[in-house]
Amino acid sequence: MNMQPARSEFTGARDDGIAKGDVLLDVKNVSLAFGGVKAITDVSFDILKGEIRAIIGPNGAGKTSMLNVINGFYTPQQGTITYRGVPRHSMRTTDAARQGISRTFQNIALFRGMSTLDNIMTGRITLQKRNLFWQGLWWGPAEREEIEHRRAVEAIIDFLEIEHIRKVPVGRLPYGLQKRVELGRALAAEPSLLLLDEPMAGMNLEEKEDMSRFILDVNNQFGTTIALIEHDMGVVMDISDRIVVLDYGRKIGDGKPDEIAKNKDVIDAYLGVPHGEMDEEQQTA
Amino acid sequence: MNPEFLYFIETVLNGLMAGVMYSLVALGFALIFKASGIFNFAQGVMALFAALTLVGLQTGQVPFAHLINAIFGTQIHHFGWELPAIIAIVGTLGVMVAFAYLFEGLVLKHLVNQEPIILFMATIGLAYFLEGFGDLMWGANIKAMDVGIPSGGSFWWEDVTRTWAPEDSGYFGMYIDKLDVVAAIVALVLVSALVAFSQYTKFGRALRAVADDHQAALSVGISLRTIWVVVWSIAGFVALVAGIMWGAKSGVQFSLSLIALKALPVLILGGFTSIPGAIVGGLIIGVGEKLAELYIGPLVGGAIENWFAYVVALVFLLFRPQGLFGERIIERV
Repeated sequence: MNMQPARSEFTGARDDGIAKGDVLLDVKNVSLAFGGVKAITDVSFDILKGEIRAIIGPNGAGKTSMLNVINGFYTPQQGTITYRGVPRHSMRTTDAARQGISRTFQNIALFRGMSTLDNIMTGRITLQKRNLFWQGLWWGPAEREEIEHRRAVEAIIDFLEIEHIRKVPVGRLPYGLQKRVELGRALAAEPSLLLLDEPMAGMNLEEKEDMSRFILDVNNQFGTTIALIEHDMGVVMDISDRIVVLDYGRKIGDGKPDEIAKNKDVIDAYLGVPHGEMDEEQQTA
Repeated sequence: MNPEFLYFIETVLNGLMAGVMYSLVALGFALIFKASGIFNFAQGVMALFAALTLVGLQTGQVPFAHLINAIFGTQIHHFGWELPAIIAIVGTLGVMVAFAYLFEGLVLKHLVNQEPIILFMATIGLAYFLEGFGDLMWGANIKAMDVGIPSGGSFWWEDVTRTWAPEDSGYFGMYIDKLDVVAAIVALVLVSALVAFSQYTKFGRALRAVADDHQAALSVGISLRTIWVVVWSIAGFVALVAGIMWGAKSGVQFSLSLIALKALPVLILGGFTSIPGAIVGGLIIGVGEKLAELYIGPLVGGAIENWFAYVVALVFLLFRPQGLFGERIIERV
């Protein structure tokens, strides 16, 4: 396994001024509804710098909606999100990206016509500062910048062991590799907070093991904070530091993996056993 | 060489040159279509507007002179200075960029997530607005454009080619317009520059990314609005180049906006999403219509040039709707 540190050009995660173990992102009383459909109801949790935080729950529990709220695709009707100490109600997606929130998608959202290399290069767009004038001239500053970022991208390609598909249009790649390229694109932004939406969905056992290893490596080597949604409980229990459980848009559990495994509400939600408040919910559903 | 054969070569050459002129207009269409899926009906009018502005700036015309005179009873028409071509070109480019900003801010911004047909309608509106605005701003008279591009037949080429035929054949040599040669070189440089820009710069990558997947593009921090302004500015720049070439060739007149119609078959042939396709499509149409005029024309009484391109496009639509270089159209059922 490739344990040597990444090259000096690529630091992996930006310095966001938050110490390890302090709160990086704090979600407070967030509610989101689409018309009459409540996707998220009064959910609060926090993500600490340097941890792997899993968000789990049955289908339709509001997990992806939660990620969409965090990176600005959705604006919640209520609640605040404090990121790096700055509270906000809503945020533009592009601003979220500039401030170091990267993500991957449940149904891979790569630029299918572009090569692996170009896809990962797009991840560095917010870090490339030269304006249109210099870009148009190309020679000089823009070229130097391009080379510098290209080097960082090569470091990521090394890290994810995808050298052999560097020039292949990603639309032609098998599913598992596409997922890996998407992770690469998210990493390229040197994120403070990496949001992974079902990074292992649809993978076979070997691919899952690879992906778990990459996630742990990113967390260990770069110190990147990761929030991930995943359905494979074995993987979630193994790799996450803390877990938040959503069901029908509400938070029903929050804690370390062993606490969650014993949580009665959580077990019931997964097995579909009526219990307490859940009882009413299920009758109306 | 047989004069008959030399005449064939001359026709092909002239066809290629004419094709380049079509390609210049088609390029602007392909750029915008590729990046935003909008068919920009106004591309031809943008070329006209750019040419009008260029001539106006160069000759020191007062914008809206007729309007000002009508309201205030004054008699101003010219500032009395003339600008060098290069400064006028830079100025016009500035106007086209400002125009891209305005169009994004006033129109496109409000039409995000709308159907392509709605955006298409918006560009039709833009075409009519721009035509009227250009008229109001610079007047409707036909203007000569002189930015220092050589024009007229090349005597050198005529002398060279005359020696290719037997002495007694009475062959006078090939006619080739210097302006067309310049246009071909300009088009070549323009396309190489555009391809390089889209392959090797962050804006080029962002542009392709936006064309590919809006949501993913947003998630990596690409601002759709910035990209749109950039795309429309580049389309404005291409329109300016097309306007200069067409203006120098046939004068700056309002029928220039109709050259956009000739770009349609070019795009259908080359594929709407392909920049090289716009070039190859233009060349095929150019050569095809000149050859058809030469060989089929006499049989049907001539004037084939006017409709030949559209018939070719029709045939292509039947057998290869995505064009030569376009992305394959796959519909899931």
